[in-house]
Amino acid sequence: MSRGFRVREWAGVISLLSLAVAVAMGVLFTEESSRSELTAASRAALRSPTGYAQLVSYESLSAMGPVMRPAMGGEMCQWMPASTGAFLTASLLQAEATGSNPGQSSGQDRVSIDVNRAPLRTIRDPNPAYSAIAVEPESNMLVVTDENLFQILEYDRLDNTPANARMTEPKRVIGGNLTKAEMMCGVYIDPKTLETYVINNDTQDWMAVFSKDARGNVAPDRYLATPHGTFGIAVDERQQEIFLTVQHSNAVVVYRKLAEGEEAPLRRLFGNDTELEDPHGIAVDTKNNLLFVSNHGNVRYRNTGGEGDLRETAAQNPRRMRGFIRGTGKFEPPSITVYGRDAEGNTAPVRIIEGPQTRLNWPMHLAVDEERGELYVANDMDHSILVFRTTDEGDAAPTRVIKGPKTGIKNPTSIALDLKNGELWVANMGNHSATAFPLTASGDVEPLRTIRGGPANEASLMIGNPGGVGYDTKREEILVPN
Amino acid sequence: MAHPQIATFARLAKGGDAPTRTIAGQATKLSRTMHDIRYDAVHDEFLVTNPFAGAILVFRGGADGEEAPIRIIQGPSTMLESPDRLDVDAVHNEIFVPEGDRILVYPREGNGDVAPIRMIRGPDTQLRSAATLSVDPVHDLLIVGLNKTDRTGRAPNGALLVFHRTDNGNVKPRGVIRGPKSGIVRITQLAINPQRKLIVATQPGPIEDMEPEGAFIGVWSMDDNGDVAPRWKIPTGPTSTLKKPRGAVLDPKNKELIVADMRLNAILTYYFPEIF
Repeated sequence: MSRGFRVREWAGVISLLSLAVAVAMGVLFTEESSRSELTAASRAALRSPTGYAQLVSYESLSAMGPVMRPAMGGEMCQWMPASTGAFLTASLLQAEATGSNPGQSSGQDRVSIDVNRAPLRTIRDPNPAYSAIAVEPESNMLVVTDENLFQILEYDRLDNTPANARMTEPKRVIGGNLTKAEMMCGVYIDPKTLETYVINNDTQDWMAVFSKDARGNVAPDRYLATPHGTFGIAVDERQQEIFLTVQHSNAVVVYRKLAEGEEAPLRRLFGNDTELEDPHGIAVDTKNNLLFVSNHGNVRYRNTGGEGDLRETAAQNPRRMRGFIRGTGKFEPPSITVYGRDAEGNTAPVRIIEGPQTRLNWPMHLAVDEERGELYVANDMDHSILVFRTTDEGDAAPTRVIKGPKTGIKNPTSIALDLKNGELWVANMGNHSATAFPLTASGDVEPLRTIRGGPANEASLMIGNPGGVGYDTKREEILVPN
Repeated sequence: MAHPQIATFARLAKGGDAPTRTIAGQATKLSRTMHDIRYDAVHDEFLVTNPFAGAILVFRGGADGEEAPIRIIQGPSTMLESPDRLDVDAVHNEIFVPEGDRILVYPREGNGDVAPIRMIRGPDTQLRSAATLSVDPVHDLLIVGLNKTDRTGRAPNGALLVFHRTDNGNVKPRGVIRGPKSGIVRITQLAINPQRKLIVATQPGPIEDMEPEGAFIGVWSMDDNGDVAPRWKIPTGPTSTLKKPRGAVLDPKNKELIVADMRLNAILTYYFPEIF
C-alpha cells in the first residue's frame, strides 16, 4: 500500500468522522431539540447491530504504544481530551460564559432519555468480607457477618477449609432486603436460645434478632430501633442487658436484652468527660463490674447548655444524640477507656489504656476473659491481636501479641472467645477468613483452623458502603473511599 | 463499614482485581463514612473529610499506605461540625463544604485552624440539609444538592440549587431544580462537565431502602430551573445492574461515567459519550 493511498484513506476516514461528529453535536447542542432527535443521537452513540462493520471503539494514538504507531504512517492531529490543561484554558475564557442565565432554560416539558446500558466494567469482590464474629461452644455454632454481600453466615466451629478448596460452604445463610441487616459490624449469639443478634453501622438503624432456624431472606424474629452508627455489641447475661457503642454520637447505649420496637435504652453513657472518641468495640467484665470501650480517637465536643445542647437534642431525637459544637473536632490517640459496668451520663473513665507502647492502630472489637483477667483487641491496621491485662492503665505494652505471616491475620475487625475449648476466633476482613487460635497463643503462630469464604489467593477488596468515588486523571486510577 | 480505607484501582480494573494502593491506618487520620473524594489534577492532591473529627484532609496524589495528610483544616475558626462531602476549585484555589444550612468556603492551601473566607447562609438561600456540591470554575457556578432531612418520609424531598461561585451571605439561588418531574428524593455525590455545562447527580432514593425503586443517575443542565426531568437518566435495574448509586465521577478523556453503588459494594464504569 502506497504512502499516498494511506494518507488519502485516513483523510477520508477523518472527514467522515468529522461529519458524523458535527451532525451529532448539532443535534445534541440545539437547545430546543426534540426528544426523538436526542434519542436518535443517544442510540447512535452506542450503535445498533446492522450486519456490517461499524466504529465501536478506538484507541488514541498515544495509547497504542510504539509497536502500532510506526505502522500508521503519516501525521495526524492529536485528539485533545478534556484534560486539566483544557479545563484551565476554558476557565480563562469566562467572559463568554458569565453572561449565561440559568433561569432562561426551564425545560418544564422535558421527558428524560433513559440511557439503559450495561456497564463496561464492574469492580466488585465476589466473596464475603467477615466483619464480626461470635462463637457458641455448646452447639459448635460459629456466626460471622458479611459486610460485602450483606449476609449472616453460620459455620460449624470445627470447620477447617482445606488449603486447595475454594471456600467452606456455610451451614446457614441469612440475607436479603427483608432482614433489616445490611452494614453489619457486630454480632452476638444467645447461649440459651441460640438466637443471633446483629447490629448495623449504617443504613439500617436496627438491631435484628434471628432465631436459630432463620435462613434466607426473612424478617427478623424481633428488632429494636437503635441510634444511627452502632458498631460494638456486648451482653451481660446475668443482668440481661445489652450494650452498644454508637460511633456517630460518641456514646454507649444500654438496653434490656429483650428490648424491641422503639423501646428506649435503660441508660446512656455520653458527654465530654467520657472520653468516648469514635467508639468501636465494647466488652463487659461481669466479674469485676467493668466496661471496656475501644476508641479510634476522632472526637467533637458538646455544649452543656444552650444551642446544641445534647440534652435538648436527645429529647427531640433520642436515636440521633448529636449536638456537637462547630469547630471542636480533634484528633486524639487511639485508646481503650474503662468504666464501671453501670456508668451512665457524662461519666469519666476510671482508667485509660493509651500511648505508643500499646500498639493500638484502629482498635476494633474487644473481648474479655474474666477468669484470666485478659482483654483481647482486634487491632485492624497492625494486623494483630493484642492482649492486655484487664487492670492495665496508661501507656501499657500488651502482654501478648498474635501477629505475623503464619497467623493469617489480616485487617482483623472482630474477635470472639471460646472459653470452653480454650480458643479465640478472629474475623479477618483483609482475606475473607476466620481463624482459630489457642487462647494462650503468642507471636507468629499458625492458626488451629481457618474457615475461608473465598479462595486464599483472591484479594479482599474491602470496599464498603461506597458513598463517593473519585478519579485520578494523572495516574488513571479510581479512588474509592469507604 | 468496619474497615475505613481509600482504595485506588486501575481504570481498567474489573471483577475482583486488587487495588493498586490503599490508604488506611491511624496516621492517615481517616475515619469511616467518607462520602466524597475529589482529585485536584492541577496540584496532584486528593481531598476527603473526616466527619467525626470535623476535619478536611488533603493528601498528596500518590499517597500510599499509612501516610499522613499533607494539610488538615480543623479547629474552632473553621466552623466545621460534621463535614461529609466537599469539592475543590483548583483554578481559584478554594475548597467548598456543604454543612446543612450553609456552604463554607476555605482557601485551598489552608492548613490548621482556618476560618472560612465565604459562607452562603440564610433564609433566602433555600439551603436545608445541603449534603453535596460541585463547583464549576468555567461558568462560575456552584451546584448544591440537598438531602431529605429525615427518615420519616414527612420531610420535603431534596433539590439541586445553582448559585454563583462567589456568592456570599444570604443570597437567592439562581436556579432550583426540584419537584416530582425531577424525580429527586435526595442527592448524594455530584459531578459536573463544565464544557457541556452539565450536572451529573446520583439519586439513590430513601436511605433505609436497601434496593429503592426509582433510584437513578440523572443529568441536568446548569441552565435548568424548576420541576424538570433530567435530560438523561441511567436507571437502576437489570441492564445497568445498578441498585443504589451514591457516587459519580467523570472521566472526560475516555467519555466514561464511574459510579459507586453502595448496595452492590461495587464500582461500575459506563461509556456515556452523550454527555461529553
